Amino acid sequence: MAERVAAQPELYSISSEHPALNGRRCVACGYVFFPPQSYGCESCGALPDQIEPAQLAGSGVLNSFATVHLHQGKGIEAPFTVGVIVLDDGPAVRSVLTARTDEGLRNGDRMHSVLTTCGTNEEGNEVVELRFTKTEATR
Amino acid sequence: MKKTLREMRPVYVVGIGLHRYQRMSETSYVTLGLTAVREALKDANLEWRSVDSAYTGTALIGMAASRPMLRHLGATGIPMAQVENASASGSTAFRQACLDVASGIADVSLAVGVDKPGPVSSGPAKSNIRDLVGARAVPFTHFALLTNQYMNRYGVRIEDVAAVAVKNNRNGANNPYAQRQKAVTLDEVLAGPQISGALTRLQCCPVGEGAAAVIVASADAIDELGINRSRAVRVIASVTQTERVYRGAANFDAELTRATVAQAYKEAAITPADLDVVEVHDAFTIEELLYAEMLGLCKEGEGAAMVTSGATDIGGRCALSASGGLLAMGHPIGPTGAGQIAEITRQLRGEAGARQQPNARTGLAHMVGVGAVCVVHVLQNDN
Repeated sequence: MAERVAAQPELYSISSEHPALNGRRCVACGYVFFPPQSYGCESCGALPDQIEPAQLAGSGVLNSFATVHLHQGKGIEAPFTVGVIVLDDGPAVRSVLTARTDEGLRNGDRMHSVLTTCGTNEEGNEVVELRFTKTEATR
Repeated sequence: MKKTLREMRPVYVVGIGLHRYQRMSETSYVTLGLTAVREALKDANLEWRSVDSAYTGTALIGMAASRPMLRHLGATGIPMAQVENASASGSTAFRQACLDVASGIADVSLAVGVDKPGPVSSGPAKSNIRDLVGARAVPFTHFALLTNQYMNRYGVRIEDVAAVAVKNNRNGANNPYAQRQKAVTLDEVLAGPQISGALTRLQCCPVGEGAAAVIVASADAIDELGINRSRAVRVIASVTQTERVYRGAANFDAELTRATVAQAYKEAAITPADLDVVEVHDAFTIEELLYAEMLGLCKEGEGAAMVTSGATDIGGRCALSASGGLLAMGHPIGPTGAGQIAEITRQLRGEAGARQQPNARTGLAHMVGVGAVCVVHVLQNDN
């Protein structure tokens, strides 16, 4: 039976519709970062055994955005929009946004993570990827 | 104890030469490089056999690029090596040549930058650290995001950012070595094609091929080899730093530039007000504004207003990108940093013709490169 798989399982899990990001925290100095790596702490040089997983909530503020109009990469279809989101948990991340263009986007908008279907793999499973979308104000 | 460049033996730029930056052609990198080196030797009135060491700044040619090029000047057996430091490869090759002369290991040293477009084999891509956007965010988009951040933070319009391209293409039109030698209007810059965000094609530098050569020498060598002392320009600071950890959405290239420039000012014992000519890594319009601000040529957020005021035109307070910068002269990678030194030297000699900044005495060259690295040199005519 077909199931859903994450395009980048090392970066987020798909157990929630609003996934957290798989960040890391340095036990020695407290530095929190994304994307994850286990080579050593960039802030203090602590060894890999001092680096632990840190779930970073998929919510934050849109710092900046840009719609890519032209792209030469294979299988990359423009236009699409990339944003820098400063997560509520600290790090800034770059992510593709759900909106293809920047219409209606404003610097400072609240954003949250969602899962978007981006294709089907060879086993027939639905491949989903994490994107950010604007959090509409609730009244 | 550690020493600065200025505390070591004085180093002078005595020869400069270039092969025009241009779209990729059938011309071999050997021909590109030799053209620049021969022009630099002629400029210095030096024989190749007087050169004691050579560094080739190149990011794309591949392994062992130096001797297959330089042997055609006569195989004198001197030490040679390639210097790869991304966009700052030519700047770093120049620094190595300066250090050879400053230390006394060499009396005369050559830095030559040469490159042709080709496949990139990069460390960051091989570090196996993946982010969310991957190949979808290429440099165009990195700088489009910074453009958007800057415009929002300071209430600046894209017309004000794009004015950098108008100025730099105007300068490039007077530079026979520039890839783009045509003045453009603001309307032409903004007309597109749109690449990423607010960045149009003319707000992005052309990446082609070319070469730039710089020969440095000690005071002893200038006397002994009969080099014209009045055309020699002293290198008073050579500083390089790499990226640290910055918090939130801080722009790492700007923060790195701020720190590197501060060290260079201290070592050269100058302030921003002393600068007559400056070349920065203006691969994208937004970068010139960010780096001008980090250099202290104006306050943060006032870069666009400074450019549109004419203060950074040739003839203004400080000529910024008089060569045309990366935006017009071009960014063939390996040559770019060495080409900046050639331009500053030409300006400080008073030999820049239609591009001459009046009474130019002190100049600064700035490059950043993927990694991130930053290299800053300060040159002064102390004649």
